[in-house]
Amino acid sequence: MHSPALFLITVVLVAILGVTGCGRRDDGVTELVITGSTTLLPIAEISSEGFEALNPDVNVLVSGVGSSAGIEAVAQGTADIGTSSRDLKEEEEGLGLIDTPVAYDGIAVIVNPANPVTALSMEQLKAIFAGEITNWEEVGGPDMRIHLVNRDEASGTREAFKKIVIGKESNFDLRAAVLPGTGQVRDVVSRTDGAVGYISLGFVESREAARDVKALKVDNIEATPVTIADETYPIRRTLHFFTKGAPSGVAKEYIDYVLSPEVQEGAVTEAGFIPITVGNEAAQ
Amino acid sequence: MSDTQQSANKMRLVSRSTLAKETALATLFFLCAFVAVLGVALIFLFVGWRAWPVFSEVGIGNFALGRVWDASNEVYGILPLIVGSVIVTLGALALGTPLAVGTAVFLSEIASPRVRSVVRPAVELLAGIPSVVYGFFGIVVLRPIVAEFSGGTGFGAFTAWVILGIMIVPTIAALSEDALRSVPDGIREASYAMGATTWQTIYKVLLPAAKIGIIDATILGMGRAIGETMAVLMVVGNAPVFPEGIFSPMPTLTAQIALNMGYASGTHRVALFGMAAILFMFSMALVAAVRWVSRLGGE
Repeated sequence: MHSPALFLITVVLVAILGVTGCGRRDDGVTELVITGSTTLLPIAEISSEGFEALNPDVNVLVSGVGSSAGIEAVAQGTADIGTSSRDLKEEEEGLGLIDTPVAYDGIAVIVNPANPVTALSMEQLKAIFAGEITNWEEVGGPDMRIHLVNRDEASGTREAFKKIVIGKESNFDLRAAVLPGTGQVRDVVSRTDGAVGYISLGFVESREAARDVKALKVDNIEATPVTIADETYPIRRTLHFFTKGAPSGVAKEYIDYVLSPEVQEGAVTEAGFIPITVGNEAAQ
Repeated sequence: MSDTQQSANKMRLVSRSTLAKETALATLFFLCAFVAVLGVALIFLFVGWRAWPVFSEVGIGNFALGRVWDASNEVYGILPLIVGSVIVTLGALALGTPLAVGTAVFLSEIASPRVRSVVRPAVELLAGIPSVVYGFFGIVVLRPIVAEFSGGTGFGAFTAWVILGIMIVPTIAALSEDALRSVPDGIREASYAMGATTWQTIYKVLLPAAKIGIIDATILGMGRAIGETMAVLMVVGNAPVFPEGIFSPMPTLTAQIALNMGYASGTHRVALFGMAAILFMFSMALVAAVRWVSRLGGE
């Protein structure tokens, strides 16, 4: 009961993978440890299953503990690949980590479907999350208090949202509820009339969740794979795999597999992310 | 035969191998107790050692009395977290203590043996439910209900009070029931013989007689409430500010440590150990309070 939620999730995931995936550990099986961003979990998990099917002698252990913890783990050598939904911070740049971008992601601003507001400008968003606007009336909605739902500081999504929307000079409103996971943010917003939060575009439409959330247009641009790939939707980011030094051995084989069309057009697209190849074409 | 004579006889009468076994067992039990003491000492030293730089890096005034906790901007004032922990704990006690003492009175004085055989295991089962399950119940069932009638997100002190209030019932109820049962039957009989009703006997005679035990139980329940992490983390909302009301997101020391420890480094990590040290002091104060109250009772 003294473990944090994220640690618990890790343990559970490792346990599940341990039960279903291995049992051959002593027979020269190679273990590939992948840890980090919860945003990247769907990509890492689905591709690890495919990779294990192709390479029966490799056991891939995937866990989601937040981007910062993933970067720390790969830097310290406790993981082979650290997944991150944000760029390296200044103090992390000297660690000798090599970046392989694997997908693009848009961060959707979500509200309850009962909320009549459909679009916000970047300035309005900034003012809302900085706590300067506290009622939906001020942005053309009904007279209803705005309930901010934020992520914890280990979250790469929070990091990216802060960098893109809030900027360096301003700050998040500290009175916001802080939740330790994308799923919780989605759930709370789906059940609370005045709530607003932000999650990865891939999690807006959910087959499992009982209730819907509504993604807002930002600067009048809807968040879709197309608007994210062509860089018109403003809140977008790159998802990374970090390795200590250039990827080699099994880690390299795995990363190549993730970058192959099979995963890029399969797991990456299905999880609601934008294949890195689409972005590459858009950039050229 | 007196005790000393008995043990002296035993020493003389047993064989050498039995004596060796006895000595080995005594050593074994001493080692068991020693592990507990060693554990506390090591944790104390480790937390103190890792928390020590807080004095130089943050300053004890800025740390313990600082009104802003904003780790991403390297501001580490934990007063809102301390206040949050105190609010959550006191509210849970206010809800849980009457419930638990009422349960104890019912079990010890009113319930028939058959009813007792159902109620007591149920209360004991409450203690066995993992705290993450309480938290899960809180976030899935209780939070939407609270959100509905408060018009907020449902995170905050109130939700934590209800969850924690239930969680501390078994601790307080079991110890209070022990205290009530240890009141000699002669006192009950004397009260009834004077013509007192059951209720008069309970609140004029039994509760005052078991007072010390019930206060001890409450203090231990307080320790459980202030240390609880997982369930609280899931329902308080974790906004590191002084709460605006009982339905606003707020922090506690334990939840903040759990949320941050996966990634904190440098001064941030030192600050977390500083918070752990403060929780340690809370526990020591509570243990001291229990001992002090018990001694009052012994006089």
